[in-house]
Amino acid sequence: MATHTSRQWMVTHEWMLKGNRQSEWIEKRGILLWLAFYCGGLGGGLYLVSLFFNNLWGMIVGWVIVAVLKGSFHFAFLGKPARFWRMVFHPQTSWLSRGLLFVLSFTGAAFIQIILSLTLPGSPLEILFKVVAGIFALAVATYTGFVLNKVKGVPFWNLPILPVLFVIGGILGGFGLTVGMGIFNDQINLHAAENWSRVFLIIDVLLISIYLALAARKDETGKKSVLYQLKGGLAVIFWSGVVLAGAILPFIITFYSYFAGDAAPGLIITAVICEIAGGMLLRYCLLKSAIYSPLIALKA
Amino acid sequence: MRWGMVINLSKCTRCHACVAACRIEHFLPLHITWPRLIAWETSKEQGVEVTTYPVRCNHCQNAPCVEVCPTQATQKRADGIVWVDQDKCAGCRYCVIACPYQNRTFLSRDKNPGYFPGYPPTRFEKMGKKLYPHQEGTTEKCNFCMERIDRGLAMGLKPGIDRDATPACVNTCQARALTFGDLDDPESAVSRLIKQHKGFQLHPEFGTDPSVFYIDPGLANAPSNVAPEGSTTGCHIQHLSTMEARAKAIFQAGRGEEK
Repeated sequence: MATHTSRQWMVTHEWMLKGNRQSEWIEKRGILLWLAFYCGGLGGGLYLVSLFFNNLWGMIVGWVIVAVLKGSFHFAFLGKPARFWRMVFHPQTSWLSRGLLFVLSFTGAAFIQIILSLTLPGSPLEILFKVVAGIFALAVATYTGFVLNKVKGVPFWNLPILPVLFVIGGILGGFGLTVGMGIFNDQINLHAAENWSRVFLIIDVLLISIYLALAARKDETGKKSVLYQLKGGLAVIFWSGVVLAGAILPFIITFYSYFAGDAAPGLIITAVICEIAGGMLLRYCLLKSAIYSPLIALKA
Repeated sequence: MRWGMVINLSKCTRCHACVAACRIEHFLPLHITWPRLIAWETSKEQGVEVTTYPVRCNHCQNAPCVEVCPTQATQKRADGIVWVDQDKCAGCRYCVIACPYQNRTFLSRDKNPGYFPGYPPTRFEKMGKKLYPHQEGTTEKCNFCMERIDRGLAMGLKPGIDRDATPACVNTCQARALTFGDLDDPESAVSRLIKQHKGFQLHPEFGTDPSVFYIDPGLANAPSNVAPEGSTTGCHIQHLSTMEARAKAIFQAGRGEEK
């Protein structure tokens, strides 16, 4: 059989048969969407963790990550940014529409809550807005998983565990940032934050493993996606970024801190940076390794 | 009423006329093609052959693109045609991602550099900007030539039968591999073809119920698309088949001389 190099004219026509990867949401301006998706998880997660520790600065940072960073990335990604307001009109079936409503609701509720926390701390109104903003923060951290999960043509995404993975990853990032803030803020219970961070790190690693195992078993295309991540073009990013930086290094540092008592602030900050980078790269890998089921099933 | 198309794989001569007709009809930008001809190599005893599948938007009854579009720019009409209102599209590309058939394209600036980049637009392009403007930053796809259908129906014509009410790709197909008509009418040509030749849809397991059906009556001993002995499909297939054989012979002779 002739090789493709001798038949370059054909290559462009074959892309629908080889199980090609999606590119719109990860290449060129798609990078902005990856960052936006990650900011949703991180900001929402940080806000929830900050509610847990009653850490006002964490809530403010979480709000900034969602409202300013995530919002700006989404805005810059759109082909027609001036029409973004139209995106709220189809929440009946569109997860992007629901997501925008979650982000807007969170932004409004959390803003009022932060003002109330500064002016009327402990008031019933503040508690009410904390609950409302907390619910929307959870929705912001979760919805991107449903956005991807809805895509039937990509078996790698079409798994019910994906939204769970996204929200756990977001909360893990939130705990990481809280630990980092705890070094400079005495009001945060650093030991408790570290303990929770360890628990969520273990849950996250288990979820990633289960997710990849389920995707590989789903069908041939799902297996291709997993192999692309583990052995193919994404192997370096996955093993060095997601596994080494995102899991093993924070694991070593956090357990050193557990047994040695207190770890040096430099080590803790390193663990936090590694955790954040790992979370970002995990989402990068999830978006980048999304392969479509071939349009026409060719006989082997 | 549900407009649909039947593609006879055995008749398709992979001439790309449907792609060109669509480009002309809709003044498509340089790197945009609504219908596509996907091709792959099949090994035959005599050597390598090419097998093709003409694909386009399937105008699904349960269209994932309609479902996921946050702005409702992608809509499904009562007659089953799925179309994009470019004035509403915000360019989020969710529909591009969600289409399991990968038949949508986001029109970015790099896909629309002009037919001759660096030179003034051609008269064709200038006319296109007036008659069929394409908005950068939005999504595009085949719309079954709904303008032709609507105009034709208003004139009392019948889509699929009268040329002025029929999609351009169907009109131009010299092999008559494309048939257009009402899938809800059991007596229409498309319904009869589907029934007679066991028409199938791509990826029915997704539950999208496409309005584009494929038939493969084995007329040309598919998937090679080379007309068999005694085919009554049309002389053009035999002609192309002969041309292919001649081209192969010339190619092989050329390689022999090189050695």
